[in-house]
Order: sequence, then C-alpha cells, then structure tokens
Amino acid sequence: MKLPYREAPTFRAESFKFESVRKGGKMRRADIYVGLFLMAVGLLVLGDAIRLGFGWGMSGPEAGFFPFYMALGIVICTFFIVRRGIKILKKEGAGKSLIRAGGLTQILWVLLPAAGMVLLTELIGLHLATVLYLAFYMGVVGKENWGKAIPLSILIPFVVYIVFDKVFLIPLPEGLWGGNIMALMPF
Amino acid sequence: MVGMSPHRNLKQFPPAPVWASSAEPKGGATLDIFANWIMGLSVAIQPYNIMIAAVGIVLGIIVGVLPGLGGANGCAILIPITFTMNPTSAIILLACIYWGALYGGGICSILFNIPGEPWAVAVTFDGYPMAKSGRAGKALVLSFLSHGFGAIIGVILLTFFAPIIAEFALRFGPPETAAVMVLTFSAMTRLGGKSALKSLVAIFLGFILAAVGMDIVSGKLRMTYGTVPLMGGFHFIVAVIGLFGLGEIFLTVEEGLKMEGVKATVRLKDIVEGLKELFHHRRILMLGSLIGCWLGIQPGGATPASFMAYGFAKSSALDKDQFGKGASSGVIAPEAAGHGAGTSATLPMITLGIPGSPTMAVIMGGLMIMGLQPGPMLFKENPSFVWGFIGSIWVANFLGLILVLAFAPAFAAILRIKFSILMPVIIYVCAIGAFAVNNRMIDIYYMIIFGVIGYLFKKLDYPIAPMVLALVLGNMAESAVRQALIMGRGNPLIFFRPPIALPLMLLALFLFFLPSFSKWKAKLSAKKKAGI
Repeated sequence: MKLPYREAPTFRAESFKFESVRKGGKMRRADIYVGLFLMAVGLLVLGDAIRLGFGWGMSGPEAGFFPFYMALGIVICTFFIVRRGIKILKKEGAGKSLIRAGGLTQILWVLLPAAGMVLLTELIGLHLATVLYLAFYMGVVGKENWGKAIPLSILIPFVVYIVFDKVFLIPLPEGLWGGNIMALMPF
Repeated sequence: MVGMSPHRNLKQFPPAPVWASSAEPKGGATLDIFANWIMGLSVAIQPYNIMIAAVGIVLGIIVGVLPGLGGANGCAILIPITFTMNPTSAIILLACIYWGALYGGGICSILFNIPGEPWAVAVTFDGYPMAKSGRAGKALVLSFLSHGFGAIIGVILLTFFAPIIAEFALRFGPPETAAVMVLTFSAMTRLGGKSALKSLVAIFLGFILAAVGMDIVSGKLRMTYGTVPLMGGFHFIVAVIGLFGLGEIFLTVEEGLKMEGVKATVRLKDIVEGLKELFHHRRILMLGSLIGCWLGIQPGGATPASFMAYGFAKSSALDKDQFGKGASSGVIAPEAAGHGAGTSATLPMITLGIPGSPTMAVIMGGLMIMGLQPGPMLFKENPSFVWGFIGSIWVANFLGLILVLAFAPAFAAILRIKFSILMPVIIYVCAIGAFAVNNRMIDIYYMIIFGVIGYLFKKLDYPIAPMVLALVLGNMAESAVRQALIMGRGNPLIFFRPPIALPLMLLALFLFFLPSFSKWKAKLSAKKKAGI
C-alpha cells in the first residue's frame, strides 16, 4: 500500500483516527456519485428482498429478511453520506478530482490489456493468452527490450502450466481452441 | 422486526445451555494444555510439514514484498493448491504465507519506504531514515527480531487462552454468536479510523454479496435477477483478489511507482548488535508486543496497535530525541505490535470462528472449503488439527526469523525488478487464483470488477477489510440471526439474552458509540471554556 504521506499522522488515542488517512472528504463529486450508486444497489436489493418476502414465514424469517435489513442499512447510510457530500460541496466547492491528472491513462494502460487478456482467454485459453499479454505489456507498454520480453513471456506461463496443469492437476481455462493447440505440445 | 410475534416475554426464551461448563475437571487444565502443545509441536516438526512451512514462508515474504499482493491475496491465490493436501498441512501453508507476509512487510517499509500493509505505515517513520543513514542491516535485524518477539508473545497467549476461550464459547447459542458478530463489526467500524457511515455501508455490502445466490434455508434464489452467472454467488476469494490485488495495482500505477530502495546486507555483526539493542530497549519491545497482542484480538486491530505502540515509544523510549531520524525503538515498537497483532488475530479465528484480519478471514474461508468450521467445536472434534496448527505457529515463526535474517537482501532484490515486468505477472497470477477457486471463467470478470470497486473504495475512504470479513462471515451471521429469531419467536430481545449475549451486545454498543460520545464531550468542554 502506498500512502501519500510520509510523516507521522496526528494520533488521537481515544478514537484511533488518523486524520491524514481521511482523504475521502476531499473528492466530493466522486464521493456523491459513488454514494448514489451504492444507494441504487441498495434499492435494487431492497426490491428483490421485498419480492422474496422479508417478514415472518412458515419457518421463521423469510428468505428476504436478512438482505432487506442490510439493504435498508445501505440506503440509510448512503443517504447521509450523499447529504453530507452535497452540503460540503455547496460550501467549499468540488475539491480534488478523483483521479490525478494523467492517472487515468496509466490505469487504462493496465486495465485494457488485462481485459484484452481475459477476452483472449475465452478463445485460446489462459496460457496462450498470457504469452501474448506479457509480451505486449513488457514490450509495448513497458518498452522493455524484446530480447528479454519474449523469453520471459514464454517462460512464465510455461512454468505455471507445468505447476498447475501437470503437477497439481488444476486445469486452467482452455478457451474455445486452446485445448486443441495445447494438444500439439509434446508434454 | 416489530409485530412479528405475539410473544414478547423475555422469560419464555430458553436459557443458554450450561452443560459444557460443569463437566470439565478443573485441576488438570494446565497439564492438558501442555500435553496438547507437545502433541501439536510433534505434528508441526514432521519433515513434510516443516518443508510446507518453509515454502509458505518464502512465498509469504515474496507476496509481502511485492506491491499489489499481500498476505490476504497470497493465501487467496494458493487456496486451490491446498485442496490437494491434508487439512493440517494446508493450514500450515496458508498461515506461513501470513507470517511470511508480515516479515516481508517490514522489508518493504524499511528499505523502500513503501508500507506493504496499513499497519506497516508506522514502521516507515523511523525504519526508512535508519536505512537511509547507512544502517539498513541493523534496521532489518531489529525489525525481524521484534517480529519474532511479538510472535512469541502472541503465540504464548494463543496457546494458553485458546482452549479456555473455546471451552467458554461452547456455551454459545445462535444469539451469542450473533452478538459476537455485532461486537466484531462494531470494533472494526471504530478501529479502522474511517467514517463510521462508510464502514457500515461496506459491511452491509459484504453481507449482501454473501447472500447472492441460493438461500441456504429456503432454497430460494436471491438477488440473481433471473441471470445464470449470479446464481453461483460471489466467492470471497475472487473478491479478495480483486479488491486487494487489482485495486492496489490501479492505485500504484496512478501514483506512478518509483522504487528507490536502499541496498542492504545483513551481517553477523548486525545481528549481534541488533540483539544488544533489543535488550537495551526491552521495555519498549515488551510494551509493543503486549499492545499488539491485546489490540490484535479485536478485528482490524493491527493498524491502531502499531500506531499506538509507536506513540508510546515516542513519548517514553530511551532514545526519544532520535525519533523520525531513525530511532531503534521507533522500529522495534510498531514491528513487535504488528506481528503480535497478526499472531493474536488467530485467537478469535480458531476459538470463535471470527477472523481478526482480512488474511485470517481468507485462511478461515479456506478451512471452511475443506469442511472444517473454525470455532469451539473444532477443539473437541479435531484436536490434532488445532494443536498441529498452534504448534506450527511456534515452529514457523522461528523458521521465518532464520529465513529472513539469512535472505533479506535476496527478497529485497525482488522489488528492484522493473514494474513493467512485475505488474503483468501479478495480474496473471491473480487471474489464475480467481479462476481456480471454482473453475469458472466468470470469476475472472468479477475479479476485474472488484478491482475497480476496490480502487474507488480506497480512493473514497470506504474500508475494504470489513467488507471482506462480512463476505466471509455472511452465511454464518445470517443463519445465526435467523436461528436466534426463531428461538425468540421473532422477538429481537433474544439478542440481549443474559448471561453472555447481553454484556457482548452492550460492549458492542459502547464501542460503537464511544468515539461519538467523546467527540460530543470534547465539544461540550470547548463550549464551556469559551463560556468562561
């Protein structure tokens, strides 16, 4: 975990709150949106709990009983979170943005290749998809020397293949065609 | 819950069973513990188990050092591999990953100024300056030895108190179990140092995620909204890998990770010097360990424990003028507290089935997959397993100490591998872990979604640990609540049943409202002062 501070935070023994850890209050717009989203999730669950029945059934509490109160809790708590967020937003302005300038590109450079690997896995299986993914990430994104990137991206999935599929007999996803391609391998 | 039942009389509740308390002979308890302890050690020192322990510790240190992987994640990813082992070896492997990750966290904070886990933040204050000023070897030795000492205090506590607490917990019925859960989450809400509202949202969300899929009592499908993938529910391992692993990676790449570590070698001279230093600061060492063990019993206690120990050391240590510049006791106190807390987190897990930290939650989930339900009955039904596990904690921590002292520089070298090589490999390993739990492709998608959620939650200060705990404990908590209500014929007062549930609930309420109360008091006294 990398935290943005390096000095000892102010420490109050009675409540164990470290003021500098509480940075969430500063990204107010994002705070409100995420609060609203969670509230929507709560309402969605509430709806299903009401459908299942949340009262007293033939054999004690019904199936929707527990989710109902949990969802009710979420809706109530997020209501207060959003209300507090809007109050501060009106008073002090939007504050910091959720993602640091330039940060989103960095995150997408991680997220999109990873998602690509998962989609490729559906087709050619995890091992082969990983070879392509590792080579792409090390070579293109990381600008690593190809002479290093290609051997590494073949070696690592190969070791995993031996350990999981051969030694521990835990099959990893083969995808649509992966099984046929791997069958060509001599071991 | 109001209006559910016509019966509202507390006297109608069946009393808590007392059969477990009177049957045991009182005199031989200590001797029993000793005999069991010897038995446990003999299980733990079997060559196969020692080998498993060594592998676990090395893997643990590696995941503890790597960014984006931690103890919780390491255990989650390796749980599928443990399915092929016997339960005792499996828990030794998982627990050793945990101990190793605790040691590894120390390396990371001291040499790279990157705390691997929240509790290790306090270590960076003095550990990194010390390493930077050319005393890296000494800082590492101090850290490891303090870890070892904290672990010893924790495991002594565990060995003697676990059987007693388990014996006591045998008297728990569903209302008491529910009360313990409420106490757990109330402590967690307040100890995390985050907004209480957001902690509550995280807990509720965890419980809801646990409830998705088939209801264990009625067999009805819940919150699936007619879709097939949701019928299988969310597995906590997938959530842990996404929330802790991917979420952490997103945070790291956004901030632009720079690994500027201090190079270190651990020489024999450092070890001797470290031992001397440790003896010199023995009071702080003891204090740190005890604070760690005490707070570590409560869920989420490791972080406040390490800060509290650091705070105490800062105000009372022999070298307090050195603080912030690399004081020895500034390393000793938080490290001893952190490892002490980590070890004593085992106590509630093994005796009550309540994990004290996210990693413990994952380990407990692993046990449940193997068909072992942690809790008081485990001591009765599977003593060789429980004591083998406790014995392994003794053995593993000594083994870990030797391993880190010998190979610390080698482990630190892992962090010098370029991030563009490490990062895709970490994601790959995470994907394997997520898939292998249930052999479902959909879990890999869930993992990515949980990663995004974890990133947002961390940014906006929603705590993740209580959510994972709620996800693991979800079924247990729900069935305890439902059974208790059936016992009470719908009357929620059953949760306040004396003699056990009532004080637990009151303690939970007290813990929950204490911070608000002290805030209110502070406001009141400030007003008074202004008035005068």
